[in-house]
Amino acid sequence: MTTEEFLDPTDSVAVPRKTAARLATLDGKVITLLDISKAKGDHLLDRVEELLRERAKPKAIVRKKKPTFARPAPEDLRAEILKTSDAVIEALAD
Amino acid sequence: MVLPEQDPFETLFERGVTDGLPVVPPTRERVAAMVAGSGREAGELVALVPPNFGRATVEKIAVNAVMAGCRAEYLPVVIAGVEAMCDDAFDLHGVSATTNFHSPLFIVNGPARKTLDINCAAGAFGPGWRANATIGRALRLIVANVGGASARTMSMSTMAHPGRYTYCIGEHEEESPWDSLAVEHGFAPDESTVAAFAAEAPHGVYDHRSLRAKDLLITISRSLEVISHHKSTHHGDTLVVFSPEHARTIAGDGWSKADMRDFLWHRLRKPVSELIPGLDGGDGLPAHVMAKFQHPETDATLIPKFREPGNLKFVVAGGTAGRFSAVIPGWTFPKMSRLVIKKVQSPREGL
Repeated sequence: MTTEEFLDPTDSVAVPRKTAARLATLDGKVITLLDISKAKGDHLLDRVEELLRERAKPKAIVRKKKPTFARPAPEDLRAEILKTSDAVIEALAD
Repeated sequence: MVLPEQDPFETLFERGVTDGLPVVPPTRERVAAMVAGSGREAGELVALVPPNFGRATVEKIAVNAVMAGCRAEYLPVVIAGVEAMCDDAFDLHGVSATTNFHSPLFIVNGPARKTLDINCAAGAFGPGWRANATIGRALRLIVANVGGASARTMSMSTMAHPGRYTYCIGEHEEESPWDSLAVEHGFAPDESTVAAFAAEAPHGVYDHRSLRAKDLLITISRSLEVISHHKSTHHGDTLVVFSPEHARTIAGDGWSKADMRDFLWHRLRKPVSELIPGLDGGDGLPAHVMAKFQHPETDATLIPKFREPGNLKFVVAGGTAGRFSAVIPGWTFPKMSRLVIKKVQSPREGL
């Protein structure tokens, strides 16, 4: 028995995970704040929005909300965010 | 000869593909024999496993089943378990990623219980039966290895529970006075099925003295009442596992499963006045629900513990001696995880 002969129990090509290039600045950018709809997520994002407006000059801050935190965001919501935003901040809470 | 640094068990630990216990090395020969047990093609896609949506082909399922210690004839049951937990209604994405405790519990009905020697009787949730131990373990390895919900990365359960190693029982149909879980859900008694249920650990309910159905169900309702916490409401699917002795007491009074559901559901409602946050404990009804009541302190509106009577699921399991039942809370968040049952597709008769 050699270890090279062991078959892979994982799906090694599932969902390649590569993070997007980081933005150099938030100035002039459209930032989406995504509430995953957990309790107090809106409180957290309210504060994040305040800080963003204080510390940067975004072109716009857009607020979106997942219908439920228990499942992935619907495909059309993800597509919309991707199409309209330069950056996304997704907030957990509780 | 295997050199010490190539010890197969250590190698598999290093690859991060075990559950913390040693696994059987998945050699080509073992995997091929396992695939043959299914009577299906190795490359056939059975399901995409959330949260990474890894492709659970028959071969990937077989690799994990070998590692878990399954016999080849278990594979059709493992495959049905994959189909059940990957059904959208089960919401494996949420069950795997939540900070809550849950793990899929697999409940086998039908002839496969006997053919494969799946324990339904004394110690059903415990160790000692290869089929229970390895079928449940194979499915957990698939969640981690194919779905990507391994304990150190995606899975962020605050505590989890020991069922995340393995969690598989058979229903003790021979000792049940009622239709089995599968028959209740539209399957024939001679079909083998696997149910996936997003489950906390079993919570024991002791009642040695109730001789009437109503008395016993009141005892059980008191344990159901405190699921999550005593003011938590609107739960989804939840399981009550009746021991054969308890089942006989209830059925002996002529109560059907529908009668039990109706009785428990109605009894498990509480007035708003008893569910106020900060009164008798900090938690309570969420703010958006509280906002509906002008004078909650005196409001007698009844709020149900369970959304609907059908959320109460019942099976009979365990040994014939012992007046114990178990309450197993489900995972209940907004769209909730539903109990999902799939038929075992077997190449062999009698499975």
